[in-house]
Amino acid sequence: MSEPAAKKEQYSVIGKSVPKVDAYDKATGRARYTGDLKVPNALVGKILRSPHAHARIISIDTSKAEQLPGVKAVITAKDVPSVMYGISPARYDENIFAVEKVLYVGDKVAAVAAVDEETAVKALNLIDVEYEVLPPVLDPFRAMDPDQPQLHEQYPRNISVEIHQNFGDVDKALADAYHVRTDTFSGTRAAHVPMEPHAALSKWEGGKLTITCSTQSPHYFQYHIARVFGLKMGDVRVLKSYVGGGFGGKLEPSGAEYVSAALAMKTGRPVKLVFDRWEVFVHHRGRHPQHITLTTGVTKEGKLLGCHARFIIDGGAYTSLGIASAYYAGAMLPLIYMFDHYRFDGFRVHTNLPSCGAQRGHGAPQPRFAFESQLDMIAKDLGMDSIDIRLVNARKPDTMTPNEFKVNSCAFTEAIQKARRISGWDEKKGKLASGKGIGIGCGGFISGNGYPIYRTRLPHAGAVIKVSEQGDIATLYTGAVDIGQGSDTVLAQMAAEAMGIDFEDIKLVTADTETTPHDFGAYASRQTLMSGWAVKEAGEEVRRQVLELAAEMLEANVEDMNVDRRVIYVKGSPEKSIPFERVANEFFITRGPLVGRGKYAPPKLGGSFKGAPVGTSPAYSFAAQISQVETDEETGQVMVTDVWDVHDCGQVINPTLLHAQVEGALFMGMGEAMYEAMVFDANGKPLNANLGDYRIPTALDVPQVVSDLVDSYEPAGPWGVKEVGEGATLPTMGSYANAIYDAIGIRIYDMPLTPEKVWRAIEQRKRQEREAAEKK
Amino acid sequence: MIVPEFDYLTPQTLNEACALLGEYGSRAKVLAGGSDLVVKMKNGLLKPDYIVSLKNLQDLKGIRYEAGTGVIIGARTTHNRVVENEILRERFPSVSAAAGTMAAYQVRNIGTIGGNLVNAVPSADMPPILIALSAKARIVGLSGERLVDLEEFFLGPGKTVLNQDEILAEIIIPDQATTGSSYIKFGLRRAGSLAVAGVASSVMMDGEMAEDVRIVLGAVAPTPLRAREAEAVLRGKKVSQELIEQAGKIAAAESKPITDIRGSAEYRRHLVDVLTRRTLKTAIEKGHV
Repeated sequence: MSEPAAKKEQYSVIGKSVPKVDAYDKATGRARYTGDLKVPNALVGKILRSPHAHARIISIDTSKAEQLPGVKAVITAKDVPSVMYGISPARYDENIFAVEKVLYVGDKVAAVAAVDEETAVKALNLIDVEYEVLPPVLDPFRAMDPDQPQLHEQYPRNISVEIHQNFGDVDKALADAYHVRTDTFSGTRAAHVPMEPHAALSKWEGGKLTITCSTQSPHYFQYHIARVFGLKMGDVRVLKSYVGGGFGGKLEPSGAEYVSAALAMKTGRPVKLVFDRWEVFVHHRGRHPQHITLTTGVTKEGKLLGCHARFIIDGGAYTSLGIASAYYAGAMLPLIYMFDHYRFDGFRVHTNLPSCGAQRGHGAPQPRFAFESQLDMIAKDLGMDSIDIRLVNARKPDTMTPNEFKVNSCAFTEAIQKARRISGWDEKKGKLASGKGIGIGCGGFISGNGYPIYRTRLPHAGAVIKVSEQGDIATLYTGAVDIGQGSDTVLAQMAAEAMGIDFEDIKLVTADTETTPHDFGAYASRQTLMSGWAVKEAGEEVRRQVLELAAEMLEANVEDMNVDRRVIYVKGSPEKSIPFERVANEFFITRGPLVGRGKYAPPKLGGSFKGAPVGTSPAYSFAAQISQVETDEETGQVMVTDVWDVHDCGQVINPTLLHAQVEGALFMGMGEAMYEAMVFDANGKPLNANLGDYRIPTALDVPQVVSDLVDSYEPAGPWGVKEVGEGATLPTMGSYANAIYDAIGIRIYDMPLTPEKVWRAIEQRKRQEREAAEKK
Repeated sequence: MIVPEFDYLTPQTLNEACALLGEYGSRAKVLAGGSDLVVKMKNGLLKPDYIVSLKNLQDLKGIRYEAGTGVIIGARTTHNRVVENEILRERFPSVSAAAGTMAAYQVRNIGTIGGNLVNAVPSADMPPILIALSAKARIVGLSGERLVDLEEFFLGPGKTVLNQDEILAEIIIPDQATTGSSYIKFGLRRAGSLAVAGVASSVMMDGEMAEDVRIVLGAVAPTPLRAREAEAVLRGKKVSQELIEQAGKIAAAESKPITDIRGSAEYRRHLVDVLTRRTLKTAIEKGHV
């Protein structure tokens, strides 16, 4: 499956670490994010949010707020469409403003538009809301009890998603196994914490709504906003300015857009609405805390035979993207190791806490932590090395998972072996000084989703390239969304490579539903592969047209023509050449605009069982991560000193950006492993919804990272590419937990690995050892 | 998250500043670095009508040594100046090191040592080491000035002995016979985290004998707390591993921690034990003040 090395060297633009197209603007502060935009006559929008986790709204009196000078509009549920929104029609369960009940601290109740922020805040304080406080449901296990209050009429026992998938004969596989273990693990409500908060600037002019916002997907925003307001999609334009991170939290409208749009429609003036940090936390839509029970059986040699996975997933107040998260939780589990028998039972449960949704690795990181931990425990039970048991089970190329995901390229075995080598595993495992340890965790992820979020026949990506009349530059029009990860740069490299011109020749118009071709956006690690295919096709159409004309001009056969870095020449006769721009200019003069078009739709993927589309992808990445830790056994403090990540991500377009993605994903996994969890008081009020008390790793906390690659080529990707942006989040929690076990023999089953938790586990072990000694 | 309206006052002298504070009473707040004040105002926890900025009072800035008195630190000195100052690094390196554990580099460029003390947060990092070194506060008010042992300065969370018209002008670390000191902060990340517990120890060694010992606990009581019974275990004794361990246990018992989102009372008490032992060992073995 590997592409010959000689061919790789022929590439002129891809495979090179060109600087990001926006590096200068971002480094100098010139980049303008939505919150920085200044528009004449604009008002400031602010949302009044519920102080209660669960309450009935008795009355809302906005009269005092309306009378405050400078206030231009005060709106509540009665002023906006009552159309509910969400992700899948069966689970549209959210309103712009709460209608009867508020379901979490932070639920949207009303909003104001005023001439400035100060007036808007004053006005919020003048809105009188009378609540009847109801007992909150805070525990996902208790939430399913029949005596508990029900949050939504349509979800009996507060269960909004229930999944049962069964492949092969798990009971028989477990009965036949030499060794079976059942263990329970749990994760936390970790948050995305994008540097830029959610923000939207809405204009309503001549029956057309234009929303500039911080978004991962202008298309989905356009679709949902048009539906809620009853507008034609063509009358809703969604575009972005610079986006300061998404991580899944900006894939669905946050309310900033709905509310600013409603205020703009009411006042006839532009309205800008920017969340503050507390709002970003309570709006959440981040990681679901999952409680995962795995029963896994192996042969004497450590070969996995079957697994039964059970999930209780705390979804918070609304469904959001959580139906997908719940399916992903189980669907991704059999991806990286080969076994035939798999059953997965999942319940996503509502609580009066912030709603959970999509976050980097979507549903998969916590189950992966559980599986990687249990696999190490099984290896220990069998007396096997942690890496050896992974090599026994590692997925092979051109195989199919039990839930019918087709894997093409797969250099997972090579990635594990390389990680073993570069980390010095064999010299370190079990041999490090007291308190030091080394552990492995692995992962794998999709390279784009096989099916979009709502049913549509639209292709997943489109691209147009227009070469200038002089032929000196080419503009790439793509709906792909650069949220900081660098897709603009990577796609510009791809466009230049496909056309045979230079990276510097490419201009970009991106992520605007009006001016760029449709693309589903930045999520599911899809753009390099999917948007990349559309860009490649568009670039190649330009190239073909240029070469046809050049062949005429040079009186040569078109099949003998080539173009590289702006020089068009006849193969074998390099003296017969002509500059790209001369041919492009001649093309415009004699034939009209020189335009290339491309689109990408994945082939039909996956099985036909219920939920089969979730987790399907044209290609899958694989990764092995080895972490080394030092622990302070007196305090329980754990320091991760080194991490080695080896990724199988297909052909690399921009190595610097790729390694930055690996590091970012790994650090995010580290945060979830070591620090991050939203916590609440007994009434469901958040206790750490700020950047001081909700700790993400700082530059001082992160370990030394060696990010390395294995040679890989993916036939389903343009130039052989596949995923990198999310995959490195998956192995981290497991590799840390396993390294801690190697260091001090303590197994932690629930995230995060806080010093106090590690200390308590050490104390408990000491107690047990004492008791055992006393018995003797 | 917007700062409410206020009048901004910029006195030219310390006396003028005290007069303004005396006149406006609780309606006024002092602004130095603002790293606590402005955050509280943004979060709506404080709504002063007057901000009395100390920015023109240059005398309150800087670090100097006066023979016979000690090292004098102006209240407006930023944390990073305390970290980098050569006089402190030479005479009281444990103070510089403690300042380096605070907040994050950017905040240390703005926040001041005086602000850290006056704010009187139980988890503050500077009080334990300064009290361990018998530091004093020079306080200036309308009726003159007074020197207060820093140990007596704190009354409770957010409460100090300062009267409404008074300003903390300087911190004085006196010349002393102390031979070693150390502060260890236990935070949950390497920057931008509050102490779960913090312990400072200072010792005056005479050969193997601990002539004097001071142990001060942070973040485990409403104010910084001298662990006097733990000190007594070592004072006047020949130091030994056993005595250090005993001191750790007693210090833990003397602490009065609470449970909050950063840690349980039980864990904090345990940390006091560990950190007391570790700071004592460093103070005794490494022997620098």
